[in-house]
Amino acid sequence: METPYTDHLTSIDYEQVYEPAEDSFLLLDALEADLSFIESLQPQVCLEVGPGSGIIVTALAKKLKETLCLATDINPYACKATKKTANHNGTFVESINCNLVDLLRKKTIDLLVFNPPYVVTSDEELKNQSYTNSQITFSWAGGVHGRRVIDELLKSLDSILSAKGVFYLLALRENKPDELIINLNTLGFTAIKFMERRIPGEYLYILKITRK
Amino acid sequence: MRLSTYNFLTSKAIKGVKVGFPLKLTIAKQDVVESEFNPTFIERLLPRLDWSGIRLAAEVAGLNDDIPAELPANVAENEELLKKLHHLLLEIDVLEGQLECPETGRVFPITDGIPNMLLNEDEV
Repeated sequence: METPYTDHLTSIDYEQVYEPAEDSFLLLDALEADLSFIESLQPQVCLEVGPGSGIIVTALAKKLKETLCLATDINPYACKATKKTANHNGTFVESINCNLVDLLRKKTIDLLVFNPPYVVTSDEELKNQSYTNSQITFSWAGGVHGRRVIDELLKSLDSILSAKGVFYLLALRENKPDELIINLNTLGFTAIKFMERRIPGEYLYILKITRK
Repeated sequence: MRLSTYNFLTSKAIKGVKVGFPLKLTIAKQDVVESEFNPTFIERLLPRLDWSGIRLAAEVAGLNDDIPAELPANVAENEELLKKLHHLLLEIDVLEGQLECPETGRVFPITDGIPNMLLNEDEV
C-alpha cells in the first residue's frame, strides 16, 4: 500500500488535526500486511473512525476500489482534511462529522479501523483541555488507562460490524491490550495481537478483531 | 456527501427515536462528479443498501423515473439500471443541504459536502 501524499496539509492544519506519526504508520503497515485477507472479504463498506489527516482511509480507498470508504470524526477539521487528502491522492472518501458510529445503520461495516485517542489522561486534565476549545485534544486524550473512547466504541461494535466484518484497533500497552482481548471475547469476538512495535516512549499493538 | 453515503445515515441515536430512517434530504447545491462505471462495485453494494433510501434519494435528486419501485431480481444482468444506480449513488455529490430526522424534525446541516451529525449530550 502506498503512503498517501500529505503535502497539501500545513503546520496550520496540524494545529487542529493529528499529524501522521509512528502510530499511524504501524496501523498502515498492519493493514498492508493483511491486505490479501481484507480483499478476500470483499468488503462493501469500510469505515475509519477518527481519521485525523485521513492518510489511513485514503490508503485503503486507493487499494479497495470496490469498497465504499467512509470516515467519521468528531472534529470538523479532521473531516475536511480527510476529504482533501483523499482528493489529493486521486480517490474519494466520505466524511461525516459525528461521534464514533452513532449515526450509522446497524451491521453495515465490513472493515472498521480505529486509531483511538489512547494517551492516558486524568479526568481533570481532560476537563481543562476541553475548556481550551481546541479540537485536537480529541485526537489524543484517552482518559483513565487511555480507554475512555476505546471502551465506548467496543460497546457499539456488535451493532455496527457486519457478519463478516473485521476490526483493526490500535492500542498502547497502557491501554491493557490483554484485558481488551478478554473483554472482546466476552462480547462475542475473537481478538489477536496482529502486530506490535516499540517506538520512542511507547509500545503499540494492532489488535485484529473478528466475530467468533 | 454522495447519495450512497446518505443511505447509511440514521437518527436512531437520538433519545426516543425508533427507526430514524430514511432521513429527509434537502439538496441546496450539488455537484456531479463523473466516476468510472464499475458494475461489480454497485452490484456488491446493493444488498447493503436500503431500497427505500435509494428511492427517496432518487426523488430528491429528480431521478424518480430512473429507479423502479422495487429492486428487480435480475439486476446483475440489467446494465442500464446499474448505470443509473451508479450515477445516482456515486456521482451526485451533495455540497450544501440538510438531513432531517423523520421522527423529531432535528435538522443536520450539510456544509462543504460534510453532514454535521454531532448530537448534544441532552439528545442522546
